[in-house]
Amino acid sequence: MRKILLGLFAAMTTVLMVWGFHLAVNAPAEMMQGDAYRIIFYHVPSAMVAFLFFAVSMAGSIGYLAYREKNPTRALAWDGWAVAGAEVGVVFCTVVLVTGPLWGYRAWGIWWAWDARLTTTLLLWLIYVSYLLLRRFAGGSQMRTSSAVLGIFGGIAVPIVYISNRIPGQHPGPVFGGDSSSGMAPEILRPFLGNILAWLCWGLVVLILRHRLELKQQAAAARDAEQALNA
Amino acid sequence: MKKIAARIAAVIPIALLAWAIYTLLSAPPEPPGDWRLHMTQAQHDLAVAPIDHAYRVAAYTVTWAIQMGFLAWMGLKWTAQTRDGSEDAHGTRRS
Repeated sequence: MRKILLGLFAAMTTVLMVWGFHLAVNAPAEMMQGDAYRIIFYHVPSAMVAFLFFAVSMAGSIGYLAYREKNPTRALAWDGWAVAGAEVGVVFCTVVLVTGPLWGYRAWGIWWAWDARLTTTLLLWLIYVSYLLLRRFAGGSQMRTSSAVLGIFGGIAVPIVYISNRIPGQHPGPVFGGDSSSGMAPEILRPFLGNILAWLCWGLVVLILRHRLELKQQAAAARDAEQALNA
Repeated sequence: MKKIAARIAAVIPIALLAWAIYTLLSAPPEPPGDWRLHMTQAQHDLAVAPIDHAYRVAAYTVTWAIQMGFLAWMGLKWTAQTRDGSEDAHGTRRS
C-alpha cells in the first residue's frame, strides 16, 4: 500500500515538475535581466527546500538524542530522518550554490561576492558536508551521537542564513516580508509559486526514498552484527 | 538489464553536466563595455538575449544534473544493498 502511495505521489510530482518547467519558460520576460531572471524559478525553491530539509535533519537529530537510551529502534528511525534530511538538503543547497553564481554573473557581472547571504549559505553547506563526512568516516557507537549534535548546530544556522539577506549587500533583499519595495508581479508570482510546489514535492519524494534506503542499510548492518556474533 | 539501467542512470547526469558546460562555452561574446557608442539599446538587448538564454539553460541543466546524479547514486546503493541482502539469504539457506 505504501509503495502504491509513493508511486502515485512520484507520478503526481513528475506532472508538477513538467508543469513547473512550462510555467518557468513561459513566464513573461523581465525588462532588465531578460531570460536569465528565470533562474530564480529553480534557485529560490531549491533554497527553500534545502532549509526545510536541514530543519528535518535537526528534528531527526533531536529525536535520536531523545530516544537513543529509552527506545533504540525508534532512535534509529529518527537518525534515518536526520541523515536523509542532511543529505537531500546538501543536494538542494549545492543547486543553490551553483545556480546562484550563474544568475549573479548575468545580473551583477561577477560570479561571487562575500556578502552576508552568500557567505552564510556557503558556511551552512560546509556544516552539512562535514556532517556527512563525519558519518562516513567516524566509526564506533558514538558516531550517531556526535553527528546528531552537529546536525542540531547546523539547524540553528538556518535562521541566521534566512535573515542574512536583510543585511545590505550584493544579494537581493527579501522578496516576501521585506520593506515596501519587496514583492513580485502577479504574472511572475504564479510560476514562482508553482515551481516552489513542484520542487517541494520532488524533494519529498527524494527524501522519502533516501530515508527508506537508510533504514535498509541499518537493517543490513544489524544483520551483519548478528551474523558476526553467531559466528 | 539492471546493469544497463544503472549505466544509463550514471551517464545521464554526466551528459547533462557536459551539456551545461558546452552551453556556457558556446554562448556568444558579450558586447564591448562601450557598446553605447556602437549600438542602440534595442540592438544591445538583441545581442545579450542569447547569452541570457544560455545561462538560463545552463542553470536548469546543471540543476537536473545534480538531482539526477543523486538519484543515480541512491539507485546504485539501493541495488547493491538488495544484492547483498539476497546473497546473505542465499548463503543462509545453503548452510
